Amino acid sequence: MVDFFKKLPEQAVRIIVVFLVLAVVLLVIRQFIIPPEIKDPAVQKLASTQREAAKGIKYAGAEACAQCHDKEPEIKKSGYHRDLSCESCHGASQKHVDNPTEVKPTSPIKRDYCVYCHQYSASRPTGFPQINPDTHNPRKPCISCHNPHNPKPPTAPRSCNACHAQIERAKSASYHALIECSVCHATPEKHKTSPRTVIPTKPDKREFCGQCHDKGSPRKGVPTVDMGAHGEKYVCWQCHYPHTLGGI
Amino acid sequence: MEAVQRFTELSKQVMGFIYPNEIDIQWSILIVVYPYITGLVAGAFILASLVKVFNVKELQPTYRLAMLTALAFMLIAPLPLQLHLGRPERSYEMFMTPNLTSAMAMFGFVYLWYLMLVLLLEIYFEYRRDMIVWSSETTGLRKWLLKLLSLFSTDISEKAVAFDKKTVKVITIIGIPSAFLLHGYVGFIFGSIKANPWWSSVMMPVVFLFSAIVSGIAMVMLLYMIVKPLLGGKIDMKCLDKVASFLFYAVIVDFSIEVLDFIHRLYESEESIKILSQLVSTKLFMSLVVLQILLGMLLPLFVLAIIKIFKLQEEVRKLLYFVCGLLIQLGIFSTRWNVVIGGQLFSKSFRGLTTYKMEMMGIEGFLVALVLLIIPFVILSILIKLLPPWKKEELTGN
Repeated sequence: MVDFFKKLPEQAVRIIVVFLVLAVVLLVIRQFIIPPEIKDPAVQKLASTQREAAKGIKYAGAEACAQCHDKEPEIKKSGYHRDLSCESCHGASQKHVDNPTEVKPTSPIKRDYCVYCHQYSASRPTGFPQINPDTHNPRKPCISCHNPHNPKPPTAPRSCNACHAQIERAKSASYHALIECSVCHATPEKHKTSPRTVIPTKPDKREFCGQCHDKGSPRKGVPTVDMGAHGEKYVCWQCHYPHTLGGI
Repeated sequence: MEAVQRFTELSKQVMGFIYPNEIDIQWSILIVVYPYITGLVAGAFILASLVKVFNVKELQPTYRLAMLTALAFMLIAPLPLQLHLGRPERSYEMFMTPNLTSAMAMFGFVYLWYLMLVLLLEIYFEYRRDMIVWSSETTGLRKWLLKLLSLFSTDISEKAVAFDKKTVKVITIIGIPSAFLLHGYVGFIFGSIKANPWWSSVMMPVVFLFSAIVSGIAMVMLLYMIVKPLLGGKIDMKCLDKVASFLFYAVIVDFSIEVLDFIHRLYESEESIKILSQLVSTKLFMSLVVLQILLGMLLPLFVLAIIKIFKLQEEVRKLLYFVCGLLIQLGIFSTRWNVVIGGQLFSKSFRGLTTYKMEMMGIEGFLVALVLLIIPFVILSILIKLLPPWKKEELTGN
């Protein structure tokens, strides 16, 4: 080792010494100055686990509710709110579980709570029950008509736009504005109470649109095409969206 | 209260729909300065390597200046990031507790490698003999500073000097990929941000690298034209012409790559293309179309081509080279601006644009950025005083 250094030119040895000193300084800092919890992820994880574990428990979980309350969970099981946890509406309830008589969980009875989910918003999925709170029975608490544990409309919606407001708005500005939804979609009455299990039909044959849009159709003032040559094997709505302006 | 006022002021300038967290942009002028400075380092080093590795003899007069320029800018390179993050005193911890999966943390190591094992070592071996000679000729502080910088080395035998020369060459060869890594890395950080279509491109490291080479060569050319006459020397026209012709080729390559990137984006025509074309034609029109492309690239390219085709007089050539150098600096700074600020101006919903209002005084403001851009020149002037890039004989022309 000493021979190796002797063979190297003097300046190279100096450089090597400088780098060795730097490396030792860095190692010393890492070893003795940097606290262990910064160096070791395991220590960090343990510390954060302990920190989190030390925090009090706030939510009890739906199982804890079902231990005392028989009726509500049973009703909820078959209703549309079956996937909601009790505490989604009633708030964090661990304190109530610990001390059932003194501490009572909250119950949202005002209108402003339900609209978090049920106010009309274009981004909600089609078929999700949505209302306009300004026009839908204003000032009346939702729970006076709907049972929150098994919410069902007390009466079936009168028209399609109760749920499909977005489509209705688009259609009202299109050439198909005056055509009733039921002309194209055969809608079983049960769709109004079970919207996801009983689904209306869509026109599945080209001839359906051809009734008005075929060259030989008796209707006047409607754009017509030769159904034999136009679009061949496709159903019309695969290319033309019938609800928007112009239908293209 | 000030924040609310700022928010209302900005919200008036928002076009279309943006998400609430996009109104105020997070990466400010400091993050624009950072890639600009590292680009200058990488570019200046590449110019220096042309002398040592590719044996371009005409460029010899710029070699030492290029190395000192690279060092001066390198020392300041992390400062914009440290000021932006707000806790500069903690930055050494990234070396102490390395996070190997973070590309940003890896910058620390790329930086350290480049500074310690490339720039400082190469300058040490390049200047060692001269430092020993100079320290014996002077007295006082300068003498001891030079002695310290030469690590109290005394051997100026032929064998030792030959070893220095050989080492410099080896370090430069290692230095070229390191310089590519240093600046390619900056492009990599932007290019790997998948959610941002303005940044997310594999071309990004390459575009950054070539614009870095362009800006570095142009900066050394400018400095050469300013510093050498200031020290009493005469500008070597052969050298200047050669630097300018390398600059010309570098601008051509840089321009082609940027055009390729542009065409590729247009051809791919992803869903973001509409908002990006809106961005380019409104918010970035001045900085991208006018400053970056027309003034910063096409005009210098045109002027340099004219100089190459027509044999212009020496004084005219000097003037035009100087103007080109300045325009290219402006253009490359705009390039950094357009990447960093441009990438934050459009909404991730692709439906709206926000605006950037630069602060004047604050830590993220214009003045701090200006100071950061001036400090490297102060450092460079000290370095030139301490380690003159040209010997007395070279300055007097003998």
